[in-house]
Amino acid sequence: MNKLLRNAMLTAGLLSCIAPATAADINFCMWGTITGPDALVNGMAYGPRDYMEFLNQTKGGIAGNKVKLLLLDGRYKLDEELKNYRRCVDQEQAVVINGWSTGSVKALRDQITQDQVPFMTQSYSSEVLDPVKLPYIFMAGPTYEQQMIIALRDAANAGGKTVIIMHGDNEYGRGPTTVVRQSGVIEKLGLTLVDTVEFPYDAQDITAQMLRVKSKNPDLVYVQSSTPQLIVALRDAAKVGLPATKFVGNAYNISPAIPAQLGAAAEGFRAIQIYSDYGSDIPAMKDINAFKANNKIEKEDVYYMKGWMEGVAISKAIEVAIAKNGGKVPDDIKAFRKSVRDEMENLKDVDAGGITPPLSFASHQGSTQARLAVIKDGKYVPLGDWINAQ
Amino acid sequence: MTRSSLVPIILAILAIAVSLMLGRYGAYLTHVVAIAAIGAMSLNLLNGWCGQINFAQAALLGVGAYTAGNCGNAGWDVFSLLAAGIASALAAVLIGLPALRLRGLYFAIATLAAQFIFEYLFKFAEPITHGVSGLLIQPMKLLGRVIDTDQGYAVLAICLLLLTWLFMTWIRRTDLGRAFLVVRENEVVARGMGINVPQTKMWAFLISGFFAGIAGGLMGFTDRLAHPEAFGMGLSVDYIAMIIVGGLGSLPGSLLGAAFVSLLPEAIQRFGEAFNMADQLSAFREMAFGLLIILFLIFEPRGLSAILGKTNVQRMMARFARRPTNPVRDQAKNQPKWRSVE
Amino acid sequence: MTFYLQLAVAGIAVGSVYALIAIGIVLIYKCSGVVNFAQGAFVMLGAYFTYALTRLGLAPVAAVLGAMLAMALVGMLTERLVLRPMMKAPVVAIMAVTLGILILTRAVCLAIWGPDQIAFPKLFPDGAVNIFDVFITYNYLAAALLSVCLSLAFLAFYQFTAIGLKQRCAADNTRAALAIGIHTGNQNSLAWSMSAALAGLGGTLLATLNGLSLGLSDIGLVAFPVIVLGGLTSLSGAVVAGLLLGVLQAFTDGILTPWFETFLRAYTRIYSAGALQQVVPYMILVFVLLVRPQGIFGRRGTERL
Repeated sequence: MNKLLRNAMLTAGLLSCIAPATAADINFCMWGTITGPDALVNGMAYGPRDYMEFLNQTKGGIAGNKVKLLLLDGRYKLDEELKNYRRCVDQEQAVVINGWSTGSVKALRDQITQDQVPFMTQSYSSEVLDPVKLPYIFMAGPTYEQQMIIALRDAANAGGKTVIIMHGDNEYGRGPTTVVRQSGVIEKLGLTLVDTVEFPYDAQDITAQMLRVKSKNPDLVYVQSSTPQLIVALRDAAKVGLPATKFVGNAYNISPAIPAQLGAAAEGFRAIQIYSDYGSDIPAMKDINAFKANNKIEKEDVYYMKGWMEGVAISKAIEVAIAKNGGKVPDDIKAFRKSVRDEMENLKDVDAGGITPPLSFASHQGSTQARLAVIKDGKYVPLGDWINAQ
Repeated sequence: MTRSSLVPIILAILAIAVSLMLGRYGAYLTHVVAIAAIGAMSLNLLNGWCGQINFAQAALLGVGAYTAGNCGNAGWDVFSLLAAGIASALAAVLIGLPALRLRGLYFAIATLAAQFIFEYLFKFAEPITHGVSGLLIQPMKLLGRVIDTDQGYAVLAICLLLLTWLFMTWIRRTDLGRAFLVVRENEVVARGMGINVPQTKMWAFLISGFFAGIAGGLMGFTDRLAHPEAFGMGLSVDYIAMIIVGGLGSLPGSLLGAAFVSLLPEAIQRFGEAFNMADQLSAFREMAFGLLIILFLIFEPRGLSAILGKTNVQRMMARFARRPTNPVRDQAKNQPKWRSVE
Repeated sequence: MTFYLQLAVAGIAVGSVYALIAIGIVLIYKCSGVVNFAQGAFVMLGAYFTYALTRLGLAPVAAVLGAMLAMALVGMLTERLVLRPMMKAPVVAIMAVTLGILILTRAVCLAIWGPDQIAFPKLFPDGAVNIFDVFITYNYLAAALLSVCLSLAFLAFYQFTAIGLKQRCAADNTRAALAIGIHTGNQNSLAWSMSAALAGLGGTLLATLNGLSLGLSDIGLVAFPVIVLGGLTSLSGAVVAGLLLGVLQAFTDGILTPWFETFLRAYTRIYSAGALQQVVPYMILVFVLLVRPQGIFGRRGTERL
């Protein structure tokens, strides 16, 4: 009997661990690739968490309520991310969820609308950007398609004629490439898409693909992949004698790791920059440095700035939502989520501390400005002005 | 319904009751375990009972998920699961055909190749599978009512698990079931006994595939998505781990192994969060997983079912009640480690 | 024409590393009848060891040698601690335990060195040679030459030295070897050590080509088509098959995939051929198993009923 009783208590104890969180807190649940193929850019998963923690430490949270934070590891695996979503929505009763991959937000888009929970995605896929049909999904910058168009326009203006798009074989790679290809914008700019070259999204060696690219001798090679694969790409380009100056990457290709690991092979590579770099002379750095004094910052790069900015925007929306509820956190999580969503959309000209121009989320994008940056002497240097990507 | 099948039925009813009480996340965990158990039992039939190695379990689950998804979206309701089972059964037979000509190791490598080929096909056959975007699956309709809650699927999964269990226990007692065991031990002897070895193997693949398909179909419905990354080599390894940890060849072992392997990541996750080790959790999880496989294989190859098995429990209870232990019953302890279970 | 030559060069460079790794697997298989799924893990671990040793201040060459020694130790320990207790276990179980080792090793590397790619120290000078318009970096040249030389050296060792003879005896017939006084247990440990050391070197070379990350362990799975093609019991087969498959993958990427894509786009709604170069080795594997299971150089053994 004792054994039975002990086992029963153990089970009860274990089960009680999975009891849901109480509803009157502010719960902010995030996931990102903490470990996985694109862990290099996970500064943007730490960013929002750190900003909220900064608010907790310096201002006692949002409107005096501490924010409960949970950062999960999605491992860039779709089923892992789906599991995390479930947990955030139900178990953690999160008022805002911060997701990661293009694949997961696309797969979840209907569920997010059905669950009515505000969702900030790290992805920039235009297929989840629809303030009317997908009112709960927000993102933090111009879409991949818009980014590609910036690069294409630049190539066209420089007199180029032929383009090759390289991309990974996952949703993040194929999705935007397909959208741009089918939209006809490449032809409209007077360019010809000579080839699209696909490679495994976690490939280690794409030398043969680079040879294919070299044999077509394009004026522009746009790479729609994450930083680690870009490193592989540029390294293999050097192996076959293809200069980095022909390559342009998207917003995920501004990472100190690229010049650090490639050295001379990365000189001349260009990428899309949406956020100011870590350490640039902007007001937000004051807050970040203050935070750094007492805490550890995992990744000091431009993606951290993105995450920090997301934290700014989300906390502002929550703040306004609480204020509109008479200064108290709403008890009903559904009402709270809806209110935060509305306030998120209503955000206009929010000061992002210089990370980006003032944020407005009417189009659910925050900021739509971007510019090219080029690697010179191992550092990213802005090339030209901020362009409005729309 | 014989008396011995009463116990599983009662347990199933209890499980349903518990899962309904546990709230959405608890129900979610329940159906995850139940689905894994169905898959583990299917692999157990093929591997534990019939001795055929199969690295392509994930591929079979995938075939089930995509079939169920497409049929479900086309309105087949519960018959989508049936279709999933049939499709996977056919796929399993396809994978098993080389088994008729290849032995042990070579066959294992062939199933490994099959797994990778199927993975590629999932990504490639876009008209059917929607490739890397994944196939969005509408919730299943059962008798006109839509099942779209975790509790609903938990009940469905437990019912199907019960049916699987009853089927498996039944088939063990048939001539075919016994033929499986003989083929596993020694094919020459099997032939000498008049067993049609190729046919037996094909039946094993067929039945195993069928249940893998059902498990896969359920996975598709509960995830509302079927996508290639979910059915990769890692999942095959998970299932192999389940039947190893649970005990090769043991039916309750498959259930225990499934629960263990499915819930271990959760347990470690909570443990890590409690101690604020969030960043190292993935590494820790994988380490625990690998270590468990190795340790179980070296020290207790008969798995959890042996550790928690009848003889052990009886012995513990006997000691508790201060009854003298029965040497005949304790025979199990004296058997050499690597003797096959059953 | 240069295009094909260039592809071939890329293929040979990678293929020679495949060969090195495949030799290791065949070695273990011949000696102890075990297929080592953890070979990929040894590859990755060797690269990380080299990296760690250079960080500690060792010169590149010393670091590589040190890493190989460390890997030999790892191999021996694996054999003693994990494989010995499982001597009588069925094939499934042993394959599963090597899988467990793979998972464990990956997790340990993840815990120690993190998930990100790491800049691997430069072992070979930058720059390239240009032969017949074919662009070959010094790195490629060195990796290919080293791998091929070491493979051949190893084959020679196996064929012509006393220890090699003992290895061959133990591999051929355990009972007979025991009968004439060869300590098969030691030979097993030796086989595992050498195999791990070779894998470690292969990992280092691969890391110079493709960078250091956890993904290095994936090569362990590509090695299986190599050994099936070459013959599970043939070391020279492993070398030849490794080179063949490396070139085949390069040609698939460079020629077959674009052709296949044009075909698909013309006749179906499918736009991408996907990762064809990853699946082609496996299709070949299945083909070989069905048609000639002993591979190119293997002996007709008990693979078939």
